[in-house]
Amino acid sequence: MSVWQLLQTSFVQNAFYAVTAVSLAAGVVGYFVVLRRQAFAAHAIGHIGFAGAAGAVLIGLSPVWGLLAFCLGAGLVIGVAGTDLDDRDAVVGVTLTAALGLGVLFISLYSGYANATYSILFGQILGVSVSDVWLVAALSAVVVLASSGVFRPLLFASVDGQSAAARGLSVRTMSIVFMSLLALTTVVAIQIVGVLLVFSLLVAPAASAEVLTRHPGRAVVVATLAALGSSWLGLFLAVWIGGPVSFWITGLASTLYLVARVSAALRERGRRVAA
Amino acid sequence: MRDGRVDLSGRPIWQDASFDVESGTIAVILGPNGAGKSTLLKSVVGLVGLSAGTLEVLGDAPRRGDARVGYMAQSREADSLTSLTGRDYVGLGYDGRRFGWRRSRDKVEVVERALELTGSRPFADQPLRTLSGGQRQRLALAHATVFRPELLLLDEPLAGLDIAAQAEIVDLINLIRDTTGAAVMVVAHDLNPLAHVVDQVIWVARRQVRSGPLDEVVNETTLSALYGHPIEIIVTPRGRRVIVGLEEEFAHPHPHGTDHRHEDVHEHFAEVYDEVTR
Repeated sequence: MSVWQLLQTSFVQNAFYAVTAVSLAAGVVGYFVVLRRQAFAAHAIGHIGFAGAAGAVLIGLSPVWGLLAFCLGAGLVIGVAGTDLDDRDAVVGVTLTAALGLGVLFISLYSGYANATYSILFGQILGVSVSDVWLVAALSAVVVLASSGVFRPLLFASVDGQSAAARGLSVRTMSIVFMSLLALTTVVAIQIVGVLLVFSLLVAPAASAEVLTRHPGRAVVVATLAALGSSWLGLFLAVWIGGPVSFWITGLASTLYLVARVSAALRERGRRVAA
Repeated sequence: MRDGRVDLSGRPIWQDASFDVESGTIAVILGPNGAGKSTLLKSVVGLVGLSAGTLEVLGDAPRRGDARVGYMAQSREADSLTSLTGRDYVGLGYDGRRFGWRRSRDKVEVVERALELTGSRPFADQPLRTLSGGQRQRLALAHATVFRPELLLLDEPLAGLDIAAQAEIVDLINLIRDTTGAAVMVVAHDLNPLAHVVDQVIWVARRQVRSGPLDEVVNETTLSALYGHPIEIIVTPRGRRVIVGLEEEFAHPHPHGTDHRHEDVHEHFAEVYDEVTR
């Protein structure tokens, strides 16, 4: 089969729709992950979701329910207890290890073939069904709509918490709202790129955008485009050349960040020379 | 404020604090690190509640989100960002607390006016990260004054600035007071850069608060009584005050000292010495 025929198969098309939906949510939420310096929380939530998925498989449910329950639960805990930057790292770390411990227990109790947990770890982008696509699209739409609705207050609370609190915003509420959005995005992204790589779509595109742009709105657009670009191109390269899709996506996203940093540094030096 | 008292995690920060700040005047809040100067501002803006006494802000109980009160916090995460310009930051002061998708029509105009008043228009479209400390403080002042507040609370607006930039910010604070007629409360480390514009001094130390005109508070009798040991004030030929005797306060932290973070007494002494002799 030629590349073009492969691209027209239903499983590649479903994968295409799914990564599109994920990239849209990851672009918006990822910008706030970078802004709030919560990459560790984003990383942790993915791993916590893994424990939830293992638990769901153990009691015979679809992994997505376990993912939802654990990611949202952990998001709430981190959002409530980790409002202060001072204890956030510790709260995230303890929540993460507690959940991973449970995950180990669930896997050891599960006697069946561990294929489901394996696909949670590394994603199963080419095994996405039509109903998965609908679920992913619906969750992404919720995330994108909600994020745009809370955009200004969330931005304010993220860039100047004290003054936002003085203006009557609850910084803790915004922290919970953000962690819930992050948890939903993680659930969606895990379906596609897996726990280990969920991070790549959340952090690298947004971090590149933060370096390259001057306005928050523009940064979100650039982050979304970067996420879309890496996942579309990654999917195409995997079909064309071979190799895991998630490898291509993470590779492209990280390279993009590297290029963004280098070009920003060069531009900075250019400005200094000119001045 | 009448007989105000604030406790944080069960310990009193200060008590029996009574003072008034009139509109159109500038009050500077002085005192050692950790004495509760910022806490005083936070109580006025409604971020910290009084555990005793009464406090009236522009005729009402203090509450967060009062548009008549402008507040500038000491440190802001925004300052390290590339993807946020000064104009964006000032704009958040205007509608940052509003949820939803609706944009307000007069935002551009209001933000422009605040930028104009604080002289920050020339660099308003650069990322905050690339600006100097003085430029960031100007933008923070624009952010705090976007609603033309009747009461302006500034937490350490001079911290980390060189002498020239300090003088510029002091002039700007004075200008804002003159043009808006607001009451201004400024937390500061050093009285001297502000001395020529100050109408009132509020001194916070040893869990006590003293308030009054500059010469009534910053004199040897009042400060000696407040600290419980002799304090001398030397006025230099150019009118700057050097306060001698406060080194003691830092070199031998009293047992109920509110700031336990400064372990290195010598380092701290040097810092304070530097500050008073400047």
